[in-house]
Amino acid sequence: MTSNSSALSFFHRNEFLIRRLHSLSGLVPVGAYMCVHLITNASLLAGASVFQNNVFTIHSIPFLPLVEWAFIFGPILFHAAVGVWIAQTGKSNVQQYRYTHNRRYSWQRMTGYIAIIFIFTHVFHLHGWFHMDWWLKSVAEPLGMAQFRPYNAASSLADAMNDFGGIVWPIFYLVGVLACTFHLANGIWTAGITWGLWLTPKSQNRASVFCAIFGVFIGAAGIASLVAVKTTDSKAAKVIEDEMYKVRVEGHMVKPDDHKRTDGHQHKEERKPEPVAAP
Amino acid sequence: MIAPGSEAPKRKPSKINVRVLRQDGPGLPQYWERHQVDYEPDMNVISVLQKIAAQAKTSDGKKVSPVAWDCGCLEEVCGSCTMVINGRVRQSCSALVDRLVEDNPEEIELQPMTKFPVLRDLMIDRSRLFHNLKRVKAWVPVDGSYDMGAGPRISRADQEQNYPLSQCMSCGCCLEACPQFTKIELQRQPGETDESYDLRKKEAYDQGFIGAHAISQAMLFNAHPVGKNIADERMEALTGTGGIAACGNAQNCVAVCPKEIPLTTSIARAGRAATVYSFRKFFDR
Ligand code: HEM
Ligand code: SF4
Ligand code: SF4
Ligand code: FES
Repeated sequence: MTSNSSALSFFHRNEFLIRRLHSLSGLVPVGAYMCVHLITNASLLAGASVFQNNVFTIHSIPFLPLVEWAFIFGPILFHAAVGVWIAQTGKSNVQQYRYTHNRRYSWQRMTGYIAIIFIFTHVFHLHGWFHMDWWLKSVAEPLGMAQFRPYNAASSLADAMNDFGGIVWPIFYLVGVLACTFHLANGIWTAGITWGLWLTPKSQNRASVFCAIFGVFIGAAGIASLVAVKTTDSKAAKVIEDEMYKVRVEGHMVKPDDHKRTDGHQHKEERKPEPVAAP
Repeated sequence: MIAPGSEAPKRKPSKINVRVLRQDGPGLPQYWERHQVDYEPDMNVISVLQKIAAQAKTSDGKKVSPVAWDCGCLEEVCGSCTMVINGRVRQSCSALVDRLVEDNPEEIELQPMTKFPVLRDLMIDRSRLFHNLKRVKAWVPVDGSYDMGAGPRISRADQEQNYPLSQCMSCGCCLEACPQFTKIELQRQPGETDESYDLRKKEAYDQGFIGAHAISQAMLFNAHPVGKNIADERMEALTGTGGIAACGNAQNCVAVCPKEIPLTTSIARAGRAATVYSFRKFFDR
């Protein structure tokens, strides 16, 4: 437009596109993934075997690390980076203008910051971020991170949450999950305005109610998962999981994979030569 | 709400204390100053300011230059007297002293708007507000060398939707309260000409958030049967830098607008129009 437009920062020149992609990424895939994730976790309430079955299903997705990066980590990193930039462009004034919507605006930003800390720590705690051996063995695991074993899902989860006296992690997860829940529920509401779905104050109020109900539902799933983890008997769960693993391996439903098991490493010598998977 | 007539009138103070945030000129530091004026019934903040200027004396008797402020219509239609009164942005001509002392009998606090460059004391430069209206071409383009004839009729329903939007008085309350509308203030460089200073300001304003008033006016003129001839040009501005996407949906604008303009409905409409426009632009080319 003006002569110096080439000097405008990349962000400013593409502000509309970037902000719309930010909005979209918050809904799909990040928001959609969060729903699936919390509901899957809540299935632990139905027992370690149900949960383990769901985890087996997820881990049957081919090229899982690639899928994780393309559809989960990548979009979260994008949304978080742009989210911080957006949050920096505004200057909250709730102290002066104490309106509910203004509070929600501030909370959207605060819960975004909490979500960053929570998600980064959470993924490090259970997943470890990277699958490389040297990283896991010399960085993540010595720090008490990368604790989750997909083929011992419930038991490794329960063990991980019981570190530090069994209260620090659950509180950390509760705060994190509730912050993310508010952020997503309120985010769906703002996204509805951003894209022009709900126009009038009346329809926006109806949308608020809908989003609140959605938030309560997702938040309940998150809390249910935490309750389920805290009430899981890790030893009993592990016995069930190991049986399920054995049956799956014998039935050629999963390839043996010690990385995904709690005591895989002790059993290295027992390992059968891996069958070459026919595509 | 109208107070019942039988209620005994509250004891009125004989003096009104006023705290004013002053500034001697553009770019200079701000400082608070206390003034005191005699109470009279039915005063508004403008009449208080008139007394303060006439006295030109602080509450402890020090002679000072008269406090400067802006006003025009005195009936809440021009917007020029807008300032931050007791922490809330509003028009000083319609801010009644009797109401203000009900809320806080101790003192009235007057501050210039915080999102615009201060010229002096309570006077601010709201040229960015008008510049942003130009960015969205908030007018009906009828200038030309031939008679265009009578315009098309506007349906009753459209009239009812558009009339509230047309009441905007460019006061800037919506911008002052908006967390996404942040102050842009340039310093004049030594020896800079008016032209290059103005150009620099325009370029800076072009990158900032356009604001709820301009979004709403763009929707008003895009709904006008002749105004919509340049609807795409307005959409281009709204989908550009500092356009509709910079809104963070805090909805303070609609809460403080003295004309009760449905700004958030305009914002959502603009969001919808921007969705359609950007898809059309992408897939039609
Ligand atoms: C659990 C992960 C997250 C989910 C599911 C999520 C989801 C969403 C959704 C759906 C929106 C609404 C978009 C719109 O208003 O158009 C949103 C907005 C926002 N998100 Fe996130 N988000 C997440 C993480 C984060 C993180 C880590 C940050 C970093 C600060 C963040 C910052 C923001 C900000 C600032 C907005 C407001 C954007 C605006 O109003 O223009 N989000 N988010
Ligand atoms: S809704 Fe948008 S324009 Fe209105 S106050 Fe909030 S951020 Fe500003
Ligand atoms: S929209 Fe309302 S608050 Fe904003 S400038 Fe117009 S009249 Fe003032
Ligand atoms: S003087 Fe015109 S609005 Fe107050």
